[in-house]
Amino acid sequence: MEIFLLTEKCIWFGLGAAGFAVLFNVPSKTLIYIAFMGALGGFLKVTLMHFYETNVIISTLCGATLIGFLSVYFAHKTHSPPPVLAIPACIPMIPGKFAYKMVLGLVNLSGDIDHSTYTQVMSETVNNGLKVVFILMSIAGGVGIPLLISRKESSKGMRFRKRK
Amino acid sequence: MIAPSPKNKEVKDLGNVLLNVGAMLLSSGASTGRTRNTISRISDSFGYSSDLLISHRTIMLTISDKRNDYFFNNLKRSPPHGVNFKLLSGISRLSWQVVEEGLTVNQINDQLSRLAALKHYPRWFTLLFVGLAGISFCRLSDGDAVDMVTVFIATVCGLFIRQEVLKLKFNPYICIYCGAFTASLIAGGGLKYGMGFIHEQAFATSVLFLIPGVPLINSFSDMIDGNLNNAIVRGLNGFIISFAIGMGLLTSMLIYRF
Repeated sequence: MEIFLLTEKCIWFGLGAAGFAVLFNVPSKTLIYIAFMGALGGFLKVTLMHFYETNVIISTLCGATLIGFLSVYFAHKTHSPPPVLAIPACIPMIPGKFAYKMVLGLVNLSGDIDHSTYTQVMSETVNNGLKVVFILMSIAGGVGIPLLISRKESSKGMRFRKRK
Repeated sequence: MIAPSPKNKEVKDLGNVLLNVGAMLLSSGASTGRTRNTISRISDSFGYSSDLLISHRTIMLTISDKRNDYFFNNLKRSPPHGVNFKLLSGISRLSWQVVEEGLTVNQINDQLSRLAALKHYPRWFTLLFVGLAGISFCRLSDGDAVDMVTVFIATVCGLFIRQEVLKLKFNPYICIYCGAFTASLIAGGGLKYGMGFIHEQAFATSVLFLIPGVPLINSFSDMIDGNLNNAIVRGLNGFIISFAIGMGLLTSMLIYRF
């Protein structure tokens, strides 16, 4: 049953990625690959969080790294640069819920001070805000990892297997 | 006065093409490193060395041949930013064509004008898919079916209003504010008068279609590349966009007194 729920989330991750791909006007033949990459990356993130109880930041980093490697692989197939594939695929992982809570918290903090709850609101807001920042950093870092560890300027010459 | 020579004309034409390529890349959402790589790839294949200064919306370019007899130096300001990955991937493919097939300057110009004229997706298609993306976000933060329908309507209306305001040539941040305000007004109305069928998730995820994904991710990839100046500017741009979204949300909250 849990597997069913996770697979359902996978579809939503893919659909979200495809929606943003259309908004960013990607070449039409890459759409299906972007949806696929978004679904796989989201699946890895959700699985790590659910079964291994990993921190949300680390699991996002893993999902984004998977998307980064897949983007290099599909870039050869579709003749598009990897960021074009990777950026829309990562967007569903952006922590909208935490960002929303952070904004609400900031509004509360800027209002009148109520000494009994102020410390609690403060700590929750800082917690949510830091999560947003670190998740964003891990998304960008994860997408960049393939180019960083291969020490190449372009993914054009990158192959997963050596050519004969 | 120096007599114009064919070499002199070539370096001028090439320089102008390179500046065009750079401006198109910057405005369609490429990171600084990508812009620099693409420009030097093309100029290297013509046998010129290039030096670049790239800021958020301006490119300064100097190209010169090996003996420094002919050089070209100019500045270009790019059009306002609007993400267009079709153009970006087309230009990347074009730059490899120049290296591998040795296109001339005129051929590059033709290809560029062809790429710039490529059509966007039809408007209804964009609206539909962004609406579906909104549904996905809502479902991912545990909304149920009624919330999803609300978010779909809110997202489609918000994006529609944003596009319309963009056509009136308002400040881009104001366009984002209007989009966020419309979307959250619809979702918030559902939350207030929905008799408990519509939950807070709908209100929170209705504005997510506006998140500045490209500025923020480009900011961090610039930071990793070491283009710190541009990274800070892009990050600040993303921050102001988020702030505009937040203001939109706040206005609706003020109206509904949440």
